[in-house]
Amino acid sequence: MPDNWTYVAAAYALAAVVFGAYWLRLGRRERELATLAAPRGNRGAARTEAGAVRTDSNAGRPDHTSRSQAPSTTAHPRPEPASRPPLQP
Amino acid sequence: MTTLLGWLSGLGLVAGLVMGFGVAPREVTQGNVQRIMYLHVPAVWVAYLAFMAGFVASIAYLARRRPGADRLAHAACEVGTLFLGVNIATGAIWGKPTWGTWWTWDARLTSVAVVFVMFLAYLLLRGAIDDHDRAGRYAAVLGIVATLNIPLVHFSVYWWRTLHQPPSLLKPGSSTMPSVILTALLVNFAALALLGAYFIARRARLLAAEEEALA
Repeated sequence: MPDNWTYVAAAYALAAVVFGAYWLRLGRRERELATLAAPRGNRGAARTEAGAVRTDSNAGRPDHTSRSQAPSTTAHPRPEPASRPPLQP
Repeated sequence: MTTLLGWLSGLGLVAGLVMGFGVAPREVTQGNVQRIMYLHVPAVWVAYLAFMAGFVASIAYLARRRPGADRLAHAACEVGTLFLGVNIATGAIWGKPTWGTWWTWDARLTSVAVVFVMFLAYLLLRGAIDDHDRAGRYAAVLGIVATLNIPLVHFSVYWWRTLHQPPSLLKPGSSTMPSVILTALLVNFAALALLGAYFIARRARLLAAEEEALA
């Protein structure tokens, strides 16, 4: 019977591609999670408005009870009141 | 521990290639195409082991509802499906020059395809249900039912007339395989088992990190 090396090479190459792709997928997902976790980790000891250090499990989450004072960088920039044109009657 | 498993599996794969291509002789009847066996057979053994681990973890999850058991079941079944896919694909590649066909609907091939599809459904089910606990319970039941089909796959070559050969090793009595071929097969099995354990450990750790990120 002929040796059929092409089939042997195809079988091992296929396995290498499948296992290699899975290995790369695991690594990529781990890196994604690490980048997601990094900012949360930095905010783990976020200070509240009263100055106390919050170390509870909600420390990394946005505080919805107080509105952010920082200007929004999304959407259209809003002009300052002094620079707004007067309302037309 | 996971890193050590990774390095050991890498070394094992190199040793397996050396054994399969350098030490094991050319088979008399089939020629060198028989060397696909060193990949095809260990892949299905590792898949069976992974599914058994998933089976035990699924029962443990249904009994105790521990998230760690659910993660282990998920990781083991995913990795088992990967290895079973490699087994089916390499079997088709081996079948073309030896049987003259990529695929035939005989009992062994059909039963293994059914198990493969059931575990694909297992993975789809996990992704389709948002409620984590409910997904874990339903998947555990499906994983247990799918694993119970594995004896059917193994004994199909005895119970029905099949094109696939009966087992050479996992059978009653001593093996008729030459010792050098048997050694090469076992080295490759050890290498793929280490690779499977490495993948399962990494995937389970990743699932824990994903749950933590979503919490």
